[in-house]
Amino acid sequence: MDFLKPVFEGGRIDFAGQRLAANLSSAMVVGSATAALLAGLATEKLSLCFYTYICGVVLTFAVVLLPWPPYNRSPVVWLSRKAPASADNLSKSQKTLVEDVSDDSDSE
Amino acid sequence: MYNFLQRLSGVTSFAMSTLMALVVVIALTTPFIPSSPTFDMSLHNVQTTTGRAMDPYDRMSRKAEYARLTFDLDADLSTMFNWNTKLLFAYVTVDYTTPGFETNRAVIWDRIIKNKRQAKLKLRKHHNKYALRNYPLTFEDVEGANLTLHINPVPYLGIMYDKPVVSIPFTIPRPVKPAAGSA
Repeated sequence: MDFLKPVFEGGRIDFAGQRLAANLSSAMVVGSATAALLAGLATEKLSLCFYTYICGVVLTFAVVLLPWPPYNRSPVVWLSRKAPASADNLSKSQKTLVEDVSDDSDSE
Repeated sequence: MYNFLQRLSGVTSFAMSTLMALVVVIALTTPFIPSSPTFDMSLHNVQTTTGRAMDPYDRMSRKAEYARLTFDLDADLSTMFNWNTKLLFAYVTVDYTTPGFETNRAVIWDRIIKNKRQAKLKLRKHHNKYALRNYPLTFEDVEGANLTLHINPVPYLGIMYDKPVVSIPFTIPRPVKPAAGSA
């Protein structure tokens, strides 16, 4: 099942990108719903209304789901390991514990 | 939203909720779509006779009074077809009051109208499609009757309702007994 790992854990974006993706997805889904309602009222066909909505949602998926470059413009800047804030007072075993659990190795 | 699957889950659930809201909006705005149908119905003739329920020659089956009537109907229902109309169900009923029961209704003719081409009705001297018989097997206590045309628009999304449009009062006569008695 290792081939599923990129699916389950991939596609990471930074926080500013997450906010952009969330707002964009809400706006695009609501926009496609209103466009679908107007298209259906204009052509007097209920089927066209729902086809338009489905196309709008698929377009939203294409724009929001994949990790496009604009979502990764401002990545999180972690502090370097050699400059801890107040680690001088911690014991040696606790310092080791703090340094080892960071997982930024697979977000690069 | 940090992950592909997180975004997929969030956007899909929001899209489903928005779809539900779209359906509710369509269903709630359908009764306000204007329609201008025209109706004209007239009654030609009403006759009553005694007959048997199953087989006219089977003397063991029960006898009842059956009324037969002929009517004309001109209607143009094509403006009742909006984007949310699946079909129109038109039916003609006979309503009357008897001393024991306030509402008696028998459907004597119906038709399913599926598109605008079928919505122009022109019926001349149509017989009733279904038998008109009173529950006590006789029309003795029936005072006055009304012949009413109803239209039921059945929508794709929303609630169906009944719309009685034209009503003609008439009386149901008693059957004429033949002189040489062989009923």
